[in-house]
Amino acid sequence: MGMTITEKIMARNSGREKVVPGQLVWTDVHTVMTMDYLGKTCFDKFRSLGKTEVFDKNRVICVSDHLVPPPNQKFATMLNEWREVVKQHDITNFYDLGRQGIAHQIMVEQGHVLPGKISIGTDSHANTYGAVGAMGNAIGVTDAAVAMATGKAWFRIPQSVKFNITGTWQPWVMAKDLSLHIMGMMHWNGHLLYKALEFTGPAIKSLSMAGRMTLCNMTVDLGAKNGIVAPDVITERYLRNRTSDPWEMLASDEDAVYDQVYDIDISDLGPTIALPGKLDDTVPIDKLIGTKFNKAFVGTCTNGRLEDFAAMAEIMKGKQVHSDVNMILVPASQTVYLEALRAGYIETLVEAGAAVDTPSCAACAGIHTGVAGDGDIVLSAGNRNMTGRMGSRKAEIYLTSPSVVAASSIRGEITDPRTFDI
Amino acid sequence: MIKGTCWVADDYVMAYDIIIQEYWTSAIDATENSKWVMAGVKEEFNKENAFKDQGHTFIVAAHNFAGGGKSIEHVITGLMGAGIQAVFATSFARLQFRNAINYGLPFVTCDSISEGCDTGDELEYDPESGLIRNLTKETEFQSVPAAPFVAEVGEAGGLMNYIREKIAQGEAIE
Repeated sequence: MGMTITEKIMARNSGREKVVPGQLVWTDVHTVMTMDYLGKTCFDKFRSLGKTEVFDKNRVICVSDHLVPPPNQKFATMLNEWREVVKQHDITNFYDLGRQGIAHQIMVEQGHVLPGKISIGTDSHANTYGAVGAMGNAIGVTDAAVAMATGKAWFRIPQSVKFNITGTWQPWVMAKDLSLHIMGMMHWNGHLLYKALEFTGPAIKSLSMAGRMTLCNMTVDLGAKNGIVAPDVITERYLRNRTSDPWEMLASDEDAVYDQVYDIDISDLGPTIALPGKLDDTVPIDKLIGTKFNKAFVGTCTNGRLEDFAAMAEIMKGKQVHSDVNMILVPASQTVYLEALRAGYIETLVEAGAAVDTPSCAACAGIHTGVAGDGDIVLSAGNRNMTGRMGSRKAEIYLTSPSVVAASSIRGEITDPRTFDI
Repeated sequence: MIKGTCWVADDYVMAYDIIIQEYWTSAIDATENSKWVMAGVKEEFNKENAFKDQGHTFIVAAHNFAGGGKSIEHVITGLMGAGIQAVFATSFARLQFRNAINYGLPFVTCDSISEGCDTGDELEYDPESGLIRNLTKETEFQSVPAAPFVAEVGEAGGLMNYIREKIAQGEAIE
């Protein structure tokens, strides 16, 4: 009986030949990530374990993303304490304001997560790391403190579920649409809880790294333990200039055992939208054509990447954002920002009347730039639409892809980018 | 044996509602976090110490307790600070299930219990056998007993103590 890729990664990193679902193991951790608003607590807890030096100062990755640049004195003071504690521990990889980005984007684009390795982070969307064939897992500050001290984390081996994705992507349909489609199909509290989700098939083979990141990113919102795409030529090409560390190209065995296998043909998949309140309350875009909204938001660890900006720029070139809509765009990192500037996307989008903000988590968690107020109806390419997520509990959030946000922002109502005059 | 009253929750009690957004950036501290715990679950709990003052020992819930994908530990410390000693549910969201284990707060999986209790019922829970008795209604439910590692961490008073002891003793972590 063979193993799935997730089982192999967990076996390799716990010094075992084989692991089986349900087994509890301590594994080695390649990198531990923490961010500004929780990071100081991690270090405080770490020292309370009786240690003064982290297990490897190159492999504890510190990022300022939720609080930068500080919009108020409270955050400014928290950031000062954070900088001090990072400095005190002589951390090599500190991505502070000026070099910042959303932690998960930084972890992948800076080569801190590698195929065949395990990386953990104190933010739920650490599942993103599966895009390069790593086991990426969200943990709390306690697990981070333990990993900083020991280089290890405990895990129960999850059962695996395979999504075999076939067919051809329609124009303007993005990985986000597939994520939302799966969300609607499998439900939030369904049996994907604790599972390892593996995405495979021809439509995944042709999917860009940005798309793979989006897909793995939202597996946490399905309740899953991790999401993963086996490394291939796209992965190798992506990682080549980002790291000098060795990695291992693992793949699931032919006879690996899955709890479930789902086949999805994406040829018929159109833009998909989650209605305000619940992530799994999804509908095809046709049901919502013409729905008015007043705020548009694209950014986050889910959809703040270069290809998202490219799609928006192509749709919005030479057009104007509707006068009833405020549009805020936030690149996922300084690197993405610079690339989008150089490619001319930022210029196009600013000319169209979109506001571009410096990289951060922005309004996604409702604590920074562009929060929602009472009565706002937000069309967002972020990852969560629960009551109060972006600020006011009296605001509504529709979740969708960047291409839908772009076309809709021109018209001032929900618009299908496939029929929009580009 | 733990004994006390229970508060019965609906489906989809989310981590977001247990600790609402304005407290995400506060310190992880049982006393502090418990003041506003459950503030988003019901309007009546959106007052200082409102949930805590109910004085319940247990929470009974259905699917996906503490879901919505938030990994902050304030959720667990908030519940513990409010006097909660165990949560029984049909299923738990994994991030908070993990945090609960790390803090030694029993998150106990029990299929049938959500339909068999009303808020205020007196329950008795035996962590060793996993048996939950509803003393008010004179019924009982068999839950899934904790795995050995989980029980060990619980006995140590959480993962921090468990690891601190191992580090102090120079023991391997495996």
